[in-house]
Amino acid sequence: MHPSETTIHDYVDDTLSAFDRAEVERHLSRCAECRALVDDLREIRRATRSLELREPPVRAWTRIERAIQLEQQERAARPRVSRAVWLGLAAAAVLVIAAAAGLSFQSRAGRNGATTQTAGSAMSGEATAQSIEAELRAAETHYENAIKGLEQIANAGKGTLDPQTAATLQKNLSVVDQAISESRAALRVEPTSEPAQQSLIDSFKTKMALLQDTVALINEMRKGNEAGAARIVSGLKPKG
Amino acid sequence: MDLVTRSQAGDVQAFEAIYRQHAARIYTLACRMAGSPEDGEDLLQEIFLQAYRKLGSFKGDAALGTWLYRLALNHCLDYVRSRQAKMSKLTDTLDADTSYQPVARRDTPIARLDLERALERLPDGCREAFVLHDVEGFDHKEVGKLLGIAEGTSKSQVFKARAKLRALLR
Repeated sequence: MHPSETTIHDYVDDTLSAFDRAEVERHLSRCAECRALVDDLREIRRATRSLELREPPVRAWTRIERAIQLEQQERAARPRVSRAVWLGLAAAAVLVIAAAAGLSFQSRAGRNGATTQTAGSAMSGEATAQSIEAELRAAETHYENAIKGLEQIANAGKGTLDPQTAATLQKNLSVVDQAISESRAALRVEPTSEPAQQSLIDSFKTKMALLQDTVALINEMRKGNEAGAARIVSGLKPKG
Repeated sequence: MDLVTRSQAGDVQAFEAIYRQHAARIYTLACRMAGSPEDGEDLLQEIFLQAYRKLGSFKGDAALGTWLYRLALNHCLDYVRSRQAKMSKLTDTLDADTSYQPVARRDTPIARLDLERALERLPDGCREAFVLHDVEGFDHKEVGKLLGIAEGTSKSQVFKARAKLRALLR
């Protein structure tokens, strides 16, 4: 008889008593299936221990800095705010709204997904589909507004970018726009398709992230921070 | 003045230096606990904003890294708890899928990137227990306390996660 699943994991974790450990080893010496399991679990443990730290995207600090500035502005309640800072803060605010709308849509879609799997649910499938579609439309509107705000800032500062970087950004935006068009086309054919809905939201998120990088890059160039700009440019690999 | 004192006085450049020192550690934890880089980035922003607001209460009793890590862990746990409450039914359905299944033996080492991707595909519940136990190094008693579950449940969730990873990485 095979040792229990728990016993095998305890063996791999080295938490068995000497007696139990010897029992498992006796079994392993004649059972290839359990030996393979132990080898795999040990390999997973080895790979887990070799995991490395992940560097956050460069735009992450820009977002935090903007939010801190916003808080400081509110605290100081200064009467005059420069146009550039105002535009940045407006973009940050609009992003928060769009992210919240997207999250709300995803949470609702997840809850509805779970609901549809539950027998005897009060909500009919049709009502659920209509609700998800309405949520998607609302999220889409919020993302489009956020993207419009960011595009205005990015277009206003494009002159500060070198032509090669501007071309890479433009190419990446074209790829994302293509993905948005394809998701919309798929949704026209099948409005309730969850993969198509998710793909549309993901494409909006990608476009927002790309525009955020563009705005961050323009800010770094204006500040004359070459190291900061280089960090952002290094993350702008051509897509597609 | 050191970075903490300058940040406490409102110096954003000093706080940026603190961010640069600790962001990767916290972003990595947030991505793994949340199960996606997008959510990890949102959590990172919320954690550092909270840190900036609370830095005034940092007395230097512990190392700044330890203080930030506890703040980040608590924030990630709040996020996980609130998401689990919303998604509990879906998670139950997914959990039913994590029973032992025979899988072909792998004969090559697991690549780090493959493991990161597989971690993102683990169901909520067992992923957090796995990250806290196998990656972050907490024992099952501590994991149980952090996640508000019994020690035995922590064990079974970690075992489920490993079985699921084995199937995903074959």
